[in-house]
Amino acid sequence: MTHVKLDHLSKRFGPVVAVDDLGLVVEPGEMMALLGPSGCGKTTTLRMIAGLIEPTSGDVLFDGRSMLAVPTERRGAVMVFQKHLLFPTMTVAGNVGFGLRMQRVPKAEIDRRVAEMLELVRLPGVGNRRAHELSGGQQQRIALARALIVRPRVLLLDEPLANLDANLRIEMRELIRTVRMETGITSIFVTHDQEEAVMLADRVALMFSGTLQQFGRPAEFYERPRSVEIARFFRNPNTIDGVRSGSRVTTAAGEFVIDPARAELAEGPVRITIRPEDIEIVGPANGAVNRVPATVLSNIYMGTRRELIVSLAGAEWHLQAPVDAAFGEGETVTLGFAPEKIWLLKPDADGRETGVQ
Amino acid sequence: MTTSADLGPSPGPQVVPARSLPRPQPTVRRLAGHLRIPLMLSPSVLLVVVLFGGGMLVGIGQSFGYFPTIGLEEWTFEHYANVLSDPAFLRSLWVTFRIAFIVTALSSVIAVGLALILRETFAGSRITKFIFQIPLPVPHLVAASGFVLLITQSGIIARVAAGFGLIDRPSDFPILVFDQAGVAITLTFLWKEVPFIGVVVLAVLQSIGPHYEEIARTLGATAWQRFVHVLLPLIMPGVISTSIIVFAFTFANYEIPLLLGVRSPTTLPVLAFYRYQDPDLGLRPEAMAISVILAIVSVALLFVYRRLARYAVQ
Repeated sequence: MTHVKLDHLSKRFGPVVAVDDLGLVVEPGEMMALLGPSGCGKTTTLRMIAGLIEPTSGDVLFDGRSMLAVPTERRGAVMVFQKHLLFPTMTVAGNVGFGLRMQRVPKAEIDRRVAEMLELVRLPGVGNRRAHELSGGQQQRIALARALIVRPRVLLLDEPLANLDANLRIEMRELIRTVRMETGITSIFVTHDQEEAVMLADRVALMFSGTLQQFGRPAEFYERPRSVEIARFFRNPNTIDGVRSGSRVTTAAGEFVIDPARAELAEGPVRITIRPEDIEIVGPANGAVNRVPATVLSNIYMGTRRELIVSLAGAEWHLQAPVDAAFGEGETVTLGFAPEKIWLLKPDADGRETGVQ
Repeated sequence: MTTSADLGPSPGPQVVPARSLPRPQPTVRRLAGHLRIPLMLSPSVLLVVVLFGGGMLVGIGQSFGYFPTIGLEEWTFEHYANVLSDPAFLRSLWVTFRIAFIVTALSSVIAVGLALILRETFAGSRITKFIFQIPLPVPHLVAASGFVLLITQSGIIARVAAGFGLIDRPSDFPILVFDQAGVAITLTFLWKEVPFIGVVVLAVLQSIGPHYEEIARTLGATAWQRFVHVLLPLIMPGVISTSIIVFAFTFANYEIPLLLGVRSPTTLPVLAFYRYQDPDLGLRPEAMAISVILAIVSVALLFVYRRLARYAVQ
């Protein structure tokens, strides 16, 4: 199991800074997600770890040893691409055994390990088929087997669950989990989909325009986002500005009671945020600590629930309601939420949307 | 149109734009559908068949001694026997095969190498790619004349070399044109055929993209292994189909060996033409026999080559 460290890693393409001073540590056996919108530098980072492109500055270290002088083919960082999965000129077994053939492993051993790998990815007996005879999901599994057979130090995956429909996503996710349990390989994958990151990763590194925004366990991005943009990226658009005084925050929509244990910010101007799933619409009898009136802007049927967009003193908030919630446009509702669900952000992170004028 | 007719009177919604028009019987419609493309092609096909096929038949007839114009009406294998026992013919066959083989092999290897370089982006790569493709539209005849001007002993290179004192006299320049080894012929063919194979291979390389090689690289394949195990199998179909064309073309080409080669031994097409041009009309059947043998040999070689190439790919 390999320890991976990215040390002040930067990459410039001419005047464009693709990756800016990135510092990360991936613990041995850990699965890390490089998450971010397209063009944020996550794929560039993955390619620098693989050695396919050279960093402009900084270092990539495996187990404390710099990899910059080690060419890709001797780095042991194997890449699994989302597209261009399998070599079309070879059979499935030829694909899986490719890495071993390159190492001139005896044929008998290759055959044995290929069969083992096909077993591991639950596709025994497809060895003689051609790559194009398999479905997309099967091809992805074979690509995984082809990477794992060389026992890589680091497994690099490019959007491993993209291009798969909902059922296959779950199947593939489970497979990747099983494989990781059995092999314990340090893995890094790239994705633009926060759900994919949360489902698979032990820790997530979120990047915006080449810069690391936040690095931590998946839950931290929901419970403790470091900025409004991060909160938005994790589908929490709800913010309102206010002024904190002790365990109270005064906003244009009223006074909020917060949990001081969850408030890392000092007194003064703050920005409140609460996740959509932590807000309830409460009746007069409900004893929620925080009760805030809001006007319904729209009420969207989503099948298993409803998505409510409300106006909170001019700020647009999203929340979830049961399917039978029949609030009409313009109706006034009362939002209720617990103090420990409130998270405080710095108010200057984004100047456009403010609740307090 | 044909599908609805093929399906017959099927129930369910059918899109029939003009229901009021009388519909032809299904069999007639089907026939018309099947015949439409051949009918539309027939004028050009007819032209080719009559002119080319007719000429070929006359030629084959002459090669078997049927040449009524000069009073020969007896069918015979005599001319074939004459040709096949003629040492000049056998030497020409060998020369032709040698040149075609060397040109095909060299131009394939050089073209693949150049395509591998040209697919990279470097300073001036676009203009280099353009220059690389210049020989494509140049006629073989023009290319041959150009090489005469360039590399004969009285040619530009020889004079410049002499002018700079690299050689004492222009006549010290090595004999490359009208030489026994066919250096000028080979060079001219290479100049024309390398870009032809190269352009196809380059297009294939660009459609493949860098990903397969990158995967192979992360899996531990060295540069040579990536070329042999990943890239070569992917570009081989393109190389094979273009090199077959190059082989067939080189084998049957006439103007380049005529302009740049020695008179003897020359290649089969030139030999056939010398016999054809001979004032003695009695040699005409032999010229035709040579042409027929040329055609048979070249088709046979192509067949063998294709077989071998397919076997090599698998």
